[in-house]
Amino acid sequence: MTITKTAALAAILSAAATGAALADWPTDRPIEMIVAFAPGGGTDIMLRTLAPFLEAELDTQFPVLNRPGASGEIAYTALSQARPDGYTVSSLNRPGFLTMQIGRKLRYDPAEICPIARIVEDPGTFIVQAGSPYKSLADLVAFAKENPGAVSVGTTGVGTDEHLAMLQLEQAAGIDLTAVPFGGANEAKTALLGGHVAMIGLNVGEYTQSDHDAFRALAQFSEARSTLAPDLATAWEQGFDVLMSSERGLAARCDVPEEVRAKLAAAVDTALANPEFQDKARQQALPLAYKSGTDWQADMPVRLARYTEIFKLIEGGQ
Amino acid sequence: MTFVDLLMLGFSEAITPANLAFCLLGALLGTLIGVLPGIGPTATIAVLLPITFFLPPLAGIIMLAGIYYGAQYGGSTTAVLVNLPGEASAVVTTLDGYQMARQGRAGAALAVAALGSFFAGTVATFAIALAGPTLSRFALNFGPAEYVSLMVFGLLAATILASGPVLKAIGMILIGLLLGMVGTDQATGAERLTFGAIELFDGIDFIVIAIGIFGFSEIIANLERTGSEGVKLAPLSRLWPTRQDFRDSWGAVLRGTGLGTLLGLLPGGGATLASFSAYSLEKKVSKHPERFGTGVVEGVAAPEAANNAAAQSSFIPLLTLGIPSNNMMAMMLSAFMIHGITPGPTVLTNQPEIFWGLVASMWIGNLLLVVINLPMIGLWVNLLTVPYRLLYPAILLFCCIGVYSMSNRIFDVVLAAGFGLLGYAFRKAKCEPGPLLLGFVLGPLLESNLRRTLLITQGDPTIFVERPISLAMLVATVLLLALMILPSFRRTREEAFQEEEV
Repeated sequence: MTITKTAALAAILSAAATGAALADWPTDRPIEMIVAFAPGGGTDIMLRTLAPFLEAELDTQFPVLNRPGASGEIAYTALSQARPDGYTVSSLNRPGFLTMQIGRKLRYDPAEICPIARIVEDPGTFIVQAGSPYKSLADLVAFAKENPGAVSVGTTGVGTDEHLAMLQLEQAAGIDLTAVPFGGANEAKTALLGGHVAMIGLNVGEYTQSDHDAFRALAQFSEARSTLAPDLATAWEQGFDVLMSSERGLAARCDVPEEVRAKLAAAVDTALANPEFQDKARQQALPLAYKSGTDWQADMPVRLARYTEIFKLIEGGQ
Repeated sequence: MTFVDLLMLGFSEAITPANLAFCLLGALLGTLIGVLPGIGPTATIAVLLPITFFLPPLAGIIMLAGIYYGAQYGGSTTAVLVNLPGEASAVVTTLDGYQMARQGRAGAALAVAALGSFFAGTVATFAIALAGPTLSRFALNFGPAEYVSLMVFGLLAATILASGPVLKAIGMILIGLLLGMVGTDQATGAERLTFGAIELFDGIDFIVIAIGIFGFSEIIANLERTGSEGVKLAPLSRLWPTRQDFRDSWGAVLRGTGLGTLLGLLPGGGATLASFSAYSLEKKVSKHPERFGTGVVEGVAAPEAANNAAAQSSFIPLLTLGIPSNNMMAMMLSAFMIHGITPGPTVLTNQPEIFWGLVASMWIGNLLLVVINLPMIGLWVNLLTVPYRLLYPAILLFCCIGVYSMSNRIFDVVLAAGFGLLGYAFRKAKCEPGPLLLGFVLGPLLESNLRRTLLITQGDPTIFVERPISLAMLVATVLLLALMILPSFRRTREEAFQEEEV
């Protein structure tokens, strides 16, 4: 009896608390911003650059809390366990958010997490040594057709962006490449410089900051050319169906009241339009690419199906 | 850019007020923990590692490096004046240094130690400056196959150079390898040894193990001793050595420097091994070996020069190939990685200011250390009277904050505490934890490079003997293995470590 009473009381109290919070949102207390990666990474820099502008916009504070690990699962789990009152938001990364749903038992329900907005899109790219005979994807594909398995591609592990891009290229061009996992982009770059692998996968952001006399990019894997590399042709333009971008944005629980989520989205939208923010983003080499939460969300099932198909290739022993 | 230009670039980086301040801070901290027995540079650097994240990369690394070589200076002070090794690498310094102090020549012993260390540090700094660019050109030829052979050689060498029975060292390496396997497998995405804990998906963090095994367990072990045991200070007299001291010691300093620089390069080598070896070497070449242990100046000069030279030359494999040769360098590797810098040939070409700034700061740091240690010696000696009941809780607190702040997880603190107990058990069982840490760091590198090699060659293992560098490493490994089995070598090895037991 007592237990039921206490539970009922707790329910009333928490409902009251939520109601009160809603009215004052967001000025009565800080909004916690969970970042799924360690400080200093691309996602962390993006949100730390954005936070002061959101603070000015919403007249509140956005303390950043890094919860790195398990490629984001720790942060998404923390978000799904937070109260749905709009005082907790988290970073959202695609494809990581989608690929972890494939064949992995998660400790949260992905359907409970809704994007607020996409902020940055950093396309994937393949780079070769500057002196390499491959000048375009077509050159590489032609060679790989003659010599199946002979082209080694440095990635950062199974199921990572670079690996998925490689699998898409294999499928699109009907070729056979060899994936070689490395511990990180720097290790892979060193191996490419030493000629131990023929090609490595990177993000355009990483490529633009590396030595252009040493490397050449073959293609970028976004739908449209990134602001960071307007002269680099996409894989689509070169006739290969490869889509792989690191998309980074903000998310909240889906059961956060609609008007709170709308206010958050509007604040992000305004901040991104602010020339001062755009300046800061340029300094940090952030390829801004705003997409509304609804559009981004609508796009998720198609992408998930696509990645699920690709993952079947991995299990098929590719 | 020529060598001189690069060195100038390095000095211009190292001499900025901020970097100079961190160099001084590192040197001071190093001297401090060097002077205090029971707290070593490994534990200190483990504790400070998470903090360096908030510093610019170069400043953080300059400070950590300063702690390492600074501790070599500080350790000798306690060894000479109190007959306690402030530092593991100063154990042999107590043998002759304290005897000198009892004869009223403490000042001379300290001065010879500091000047010998300074000379050795200067030489080792130049060795890094010269070897760095040369070795790193060669490093691009280092593909996965070469790394595999080098790693196998390194792990075997680490077992030989560790003190205590070889079997225990091998055991520790194997435990290290096992710990290194925890987490998501890079090549298949499968979970290994995570027991379903989401916190273990990315493996165990190096800092957790380092703070647990070195920081926590060192404090537990020190608590066994009675508090601040009333230390007996030898009287400090005339600081400058006599002309005879200089004549006696310069040869020893030269030999110590040479030997130390070489031993620092070896996997598993480092300051402690270098000082023991230099002392044995001095005894062998001396015309009056029977006088060692009674206060001869060579017995102080050689090991002190050697430990400082080795402390610095052990940076060479790390900076050029990205391979840590001992647990201290594993910490340095982690300090680079925190900032997203992978040490290796690309750092030398793309971020020359990091490499050359560090090299220049080492020389400046050594100069600062002579100043810190000689005129200010009285201050450091007073430190020995700080009661440990105040010191240890403070260190413990820093350890916990450090571990927690890496990923904001209490899980890591509990894990580190577990490793602390494990580390204490290892101490009780007289198992040196150094090889464990090396196995933990090198294991994943060995595994992933082996996989890469076989992926690139599509499963053909002959590449290991076809590539000359790899072949040479494998031949060296086989020779080392043969040596280990030879009874005569095993005896020498046991003798070499005997003095440590004293």
